[in-house]
Amino acid sequence: MFYSIRHVTRFQYSSPVSESVMEVRMRPRSELLQQCLKFELHVTPRARVQFYRDYLGNTVHYFDVPGHHNRLALIAEAVVEVEEPKDIPVAVPMAAWEAIDAIWASGELYEFQTPSHFAQPSAELDKLIQELGVDRRENPLTLLRRLNEKMYSAFEYAPKSTRVDSPIDEALVSRKGVCQDFSHIMIAIARSLRIPCRYVSGYVYPRSEQDGRSTTLATHSWVEAWIPGIGSNQQGLWVGFDPTSNCVCGDRHIRAAIGRDYADVPPTKGVFKGRATSELTVAVRVMPTNAPADDKEELVLVPASNSGSSPVADHHWEQMQQQQQQQ
Amino acid sequence: MTMTGSALDRRKFPAPFENYELGDPFDEMFHSSGAPRQHYQEIYDFLLDLPAEELRLHKQAADQTFLHQGITFTVYGRDEGTERIIPHDLLPRIITAQEWGKVEAGLEQRIHALNLFLRDIYHEGRILADGVVPRDIIYSCKHFRREMRGVHVPKGNYLTVVGTDLIRLPDGEFVVLEDNLRVPSGVSYMLTSRQVLKRIFPKLYQACEVRPIDHYGQALLATLRNLSPEGRPEPTVVLLSPGVYNSAYFEHSFLARQMGIQLVEGRDLVVHDNIVYMRTTSGLRRVDVIYRRIDDDFIDPLSFRQDSILGVPGLFNAYRTGNVTLANAIGTGVADDKALYAYVPKIIKYYLGQDAILQNVETFLASDPTEQKHILANLDKFVVKAVGESGGYGMLIGPHSTKEQQEEFGRKIIEDPRNFIAQPTISLSTAPCFVEGGNIEPRHIDLRPYILYQGEKSVIVPGGLTRVALRKGSLVVNSSQGGGSKDTWVLN
Repeated sequence: MFYSIRHVTRFQYSSPVSESVMEVRMRPRSELLQQCLKFELHVTPRARVQFYRDYLGNTVHYFDVPGHHNRLALIAEAVVEVEEPKDIPVAVPMAAWEAIDAIWASGELYEFQTPSHFAQPSAELDKLIQELGVDRRENPLTLLRRLNEKMYSAFEYAPKSTRVDSPIDEALVSRKGVCQDFSHIMIAIARSLRIPCRYVSGYVYPRSEQDGRSTTLATHSWVEAWIPGIGSNQQGLWVGFDPTSNCVCGDRHIRAAIGRDYADVPPTKGVFKGRATSELTVAVRVMPTNAPADDKEELVLVPASNSGSSPVADHHWEQMQQQQQQQ
Repeated sequence: MTMTGSALDRRKFPAPFENYELGDPFDEMFHSSGAPRQHYQEIYDFLLDLPAEELRLHKQAADQTFLHQGITFTVYGRDEGTERIIPHDLLPRIITAQEWGKVEAGLEQRIHALNLFLRDIYHEGRILADGVVPRDIIYSCKHFRREMRGVHVPKGNYLTVVGTDLIRLPDGEFVVLEDNLRVPSGVSYMLTSRQVLKRIFPKLYQACEVRPIDHYGQALLATLRNLSPEGRPEPTVVLLSPGVYNSAYFEHSFLARQMGIQLVEGRDLVVHDNIVYMRTTSGLRRVDVIYRRIDDDFIDPLSFRQDSILGVPGLFNAYRTGNVTLANAIGTGVADDKALYAYVPKIIKYYLGQDAILQNVETFLASDPTEQKHILANLDKFVVKAVGESGGYGMLIGPHSTKEQQEEFGRKIIEDPRNFIAQPTISLSTAPCFVEGGNIEPRHIDLRPYILYQGEKSVIVPGGLTRVALRKGSLVVNSSQGGGSKDTWVLN
């Protein structure tokens, strides 16, 4: 499938700010079954956009706006081709656990094994694991499919029920959350079962209006778990699970960035100078296409909880200087 | 009752040493027989001849100089009077040329190996793949910067300024207690102590033929200039300080003055289109090399701690691109982690194929279940340290601790084993110090030489900072814990 993606992000500041510096993780990744054919990032006010590749292979664009401005707008446009994975079986042999244990012990996937900022163990998480009854009785793939399903039924998808920086305990208690919470909880559970697991930020093209759980909002997120012994050379594959939509990821999921959790891959991250609050609105449109979209139809911007950009506050000044260690 | 026996007689010293007691630790000035060591003879004779009153006057004069020069530091965690004059002892600590030769070679070897180690773990990770150092120690270290993976560092030099702490075992051998590879401080005390002592004891200084250290500032500047991005000629070098509230602010301003470079804070720098500029009265000026005295965490709110206002937004991306050099590099703290310390002899062997010239202190890791048991059973004997702390914070000295403190540390160790190591309590060597009341008594000391790493070779100014535990019997020499400094003389 070919898709064109238009992702509009707008920051409105309560008073003029200056020296905005921002990083953007929106460019779809090019690897295996997904190729990014075109990507453009337009910034207003005008800025020189540069990019680098981070250690996980994500493309990170960045820029700065030195002068005073009330608004900052980003328009990211991409054309991407995604193929449906063909070699994901229904189940794998129980012996796959041994291969998982071996790679776990080698530490090669260390980053995706240990608790991370948002995927932390907690008493609430243990309660959920008990309740869901997930353990290593089944083969890893069946177990993950079941976990994915159970996550979908155990939690209510409720836009705005949590904030961008909410710890998973909030969603664990209320049993409500957004895709980010679904992903973090599933990652924490998978890692507690000693399965290497990572966070994916990206876009999804809904199958129908009903399962369009995420696309009405900005970006989507899901998880990938390492399953050994499958794929073209039986080398193992990262298999995508989308607990928010209860599906295994195929050619409707477009991967922009991977990380240990959301903290590694926010779509935008920035700081500015000035005493102002910022209001963020976002619109995303994913369309099947054969060529780059040429219609410039205005998208409806939706307020997002992601503040994305934070002011530099004066009152931390002394405190942080003191926290500085001098050896 | 009549006192007899040579044991008492030989420990009887003339004034002003009449209260000097020799114990098990190595004493810098005296053999265990009570005779002064040869390299201390000059100063020993000088002190015997010096009237007590004159010694006191010298001490007063030295204190005055420190006060007037504003040589201060800040003690955290106290409510009042956090800024203090650095306590200073009048009597120099003396090291022979021969001893220094070994220390110098040992440090050069060690720091070179640690630099190769840093380059390796932020690139191929050969030492991890070969199982010499466990991955866990690296990746779980809070100073490991994954953002540095694959980032090219000018000349491959991660380290520029290093301060390694050495102590003497009871047999007199120098061993390494810890490395400081992030923002080592104290070099200003080394330089100012020397200035003061030269003025107080000019003749003695001349007579002893002490190796000079005054070139440190220029050597540091030359080392920094040498790291100019893409060899840009006439680079602009600045010193980036967290600001006046920082404990080492005196040192930051002192060093900037010594080098004749600008002392800046985060707000004085701005990054535009990946280039770092300094705001000056005549507009923006490009910055090439930053000697930073700010921790990684705080250096760039865009890449690291977002709530940091001490840093410079966008600095890390400019650095990654190679438009500016940071010294030391980002992420060096992973190599001075106290748990990694135990692996340094293996690291030296791995990269250089050599045995370590300077030995480590025996170290037990709480993260290893067997070693943890051993630590918990011997809390009254060991020194226990939190791996991520520095400056003597978060430390238990077993023999000097209460049962409650031991139990508290026992709990902490079980809760977070990765965070603790233990070492046998070593009685640091003692050196003569001028104490209240006009006498000279032994106090425990260590030694922190400063290494300017330049690749295969390093510049190490002879000596370094001798830190002294001014409280009688105390083993804690950190200035943040009430320790003082002493001038260090390496003889020709």
